[in-house]
Amino acid sequence: MIEVKHLSKSFSGKQVLFDINAKYEAGQCSLVIGRSGSGKTVVLKSIVGLFEPDEGEVWYDDVLFNRLGEKPKRELHRSIGMLFQGSALFDFATALENVMFPLDFFTDMSRSEKTDRAHFCLKRVGLENVDGKFPSELSGGMQKRVGIARAIALNPKYLFCDEPNSGLDPHTSVMIDKLIQEITREYNITTIVNTHDMNSVMEIGDKVVYIQEGHKLWEGSSKDILDSDCAALNEFVFSSNLARKVKNIK
Amino acid sequence: MIRDFFELVGRYAIFMKKVFQRPRKWRIFIKQCFVQADSLVLGSVPLVALISIFIGAVLVIQTANNLQNPLIPKMYVGYMTRESLALEFCSTMICLILAGKIGSNISSEIGTMRITEQIDAMEMMGVNSANYLVLPKIISATVLNPLLMLMSYCLGLIGGYLIVTMTGIIQVADYLTGLRYWFEPFYIYYSMIKTAVFSFLITSIASFYGYYANGGSLGVGRSSTKAIVVASASILIFNLVLTQLLL
Ligand SMILES: Nc1ncnc2c1ncn2[C@@H]1O[C@H](COP(=O)(O)OP(=O)(O)OP(=O)(O)O)[C@@H](O)[C@H]1O
Ligand SMILES: [Mg+2]
Repeated sequence: MIEVKHLSKSFSGKQVLFDINAKYEAGQCSLVIGRSGSGKTVVLKSIVGLFEPDEGEVWYDDVLFNRLGEKPKRELHRSIGMLFQGSALFDFATALENVMFPLDFFTDMSRSEKTDRAHFCLKRVGLENVDGKFPSELSGGMQKRVGIARAIALNPKYLFCDEPNSGLDPHTSVMIDKLIQEITREYNITTIVNTHDMNSVMEIGDKVVYIQEGHKLWEGSSKDILDSDCAALNEFVFSSNLARKVKNIK
Repeated sequence: MIRDFFELVGRYAIFMKKVFQRPRKWRIFIKQCFVQADSLVLGSVPLVALISIFIGAVLVIQTANNLQNPLIPKMYVGYMTRESLALEFCSTMICLILAGKIGSNISSEIGTMRITEQIDAMEMMGVNSANYLVLPKIISATVLNPLLMLMSYCLGLIGGYLIVTMTGIIQVADYLTGLRYWFEPFYIYYSMIKTAVFSFLITSIASFYGYYANGGSLGVGRSSTKAIVVASASILIFNLVLTQLLL
């Protein structure tokens, strides 16, 4: 469980997040949606500590994250898997070595055990035969999937995905959504996913938080989203013709 | 201005504290040291060798031209060439050149990792990125560059020998006598100590600027320029301090 209380953040005088409150349960996929530039990435990075929030508290279960010192923060980070919006693969390492990197550091597995584990994770994101390829030799979508494989290599307790399926074709995108949902349920992970993909919202959104210009405007389950009376959310969700037609039929 | 300076030194000190921590896994650390030794030290061998041979030759010609006085024995050409190489050229000059070469290499490499969030990704795994990325560079350069200095010294003397045999500017025997005249081994240690200190400065300063790069590829370029300027300036300052202390 992760809880965010009164989170605010500004960059050199320009406020980006205003008093965000949210609670993300274990074993559920929580989605943060909103337009480009609305502050989704900043929320995620403030939760994991890559940005120092101006105000507010972040709780990981019963641990107050903001107050932790360097050592305990590192300990906690070990139980976090994170996929960055730009994948952030290490370009000095091959795809396989990228996935093995956290295993090298934090397990005492033998080399063959680590390789097996890395292959298993790569297979789960639908990648085979990419072992020796460097990130620069992979397509954007493949990089994203290696990023997910790396994030789940250590069986994280908390999983953060920043736009896991931007740049993926619909088929792979659905596959990744299913994967995230599956492992969330299987290992009772607290998962937070940033997305603006309405397909994912409807498929895996156990809980959805809508952010606009740094304000949280709506929160609920994906089932409620179609019937919400929040005007801004409706405008976001039904911005395409197709979606509007679906709503009218309903 | 003065406040900025102390703030910078403070940030550098904090960064160094993050770098100098016990590596989590010695096996990974040692492997990284070898990787860095290969790219930073072995990679500099050809450049240093080339420069040393040429400078050794040039020093001989210049010294010979300045010692036209028939009262001064010609062997002083060899002696002075040896002393210039040992005292100043092989440590300070070579390190200033390395500040450009490995300084820009390190700061742009680490800077690119910063702006593409690779460092953030490492931190998110609970890895001390400063320790993992920077410590092996500092250790391998500081420990091994003094050997590079020795190589430069020998090659400089060889360069001088080659020019003497090729031009006959002085007698070969005079040159060789000069090389052996009044040999002070401490000058070699002094030069090796200087090289170790300068190598520490280059690698740590370049890493520091790369680590805190921001603002896209322009920022990486800016930080690597800054790294070279600051590293070179600190080499000059520490050269003065060390010379005052040691000689
Ligand atoms: N490091 C930073 N420094 C200054 N401003 C920033 C920084 N990061 C983000 N911002 C600002 O914060 C706001 C929110 O950005 P954010 O990256 O969270 O958007 P987003 O919702 O993730 O958008 P997208 O869907 O395009 O990824 C933007 O206005 C952006 O300019
Ligand atoms: Mg974003």
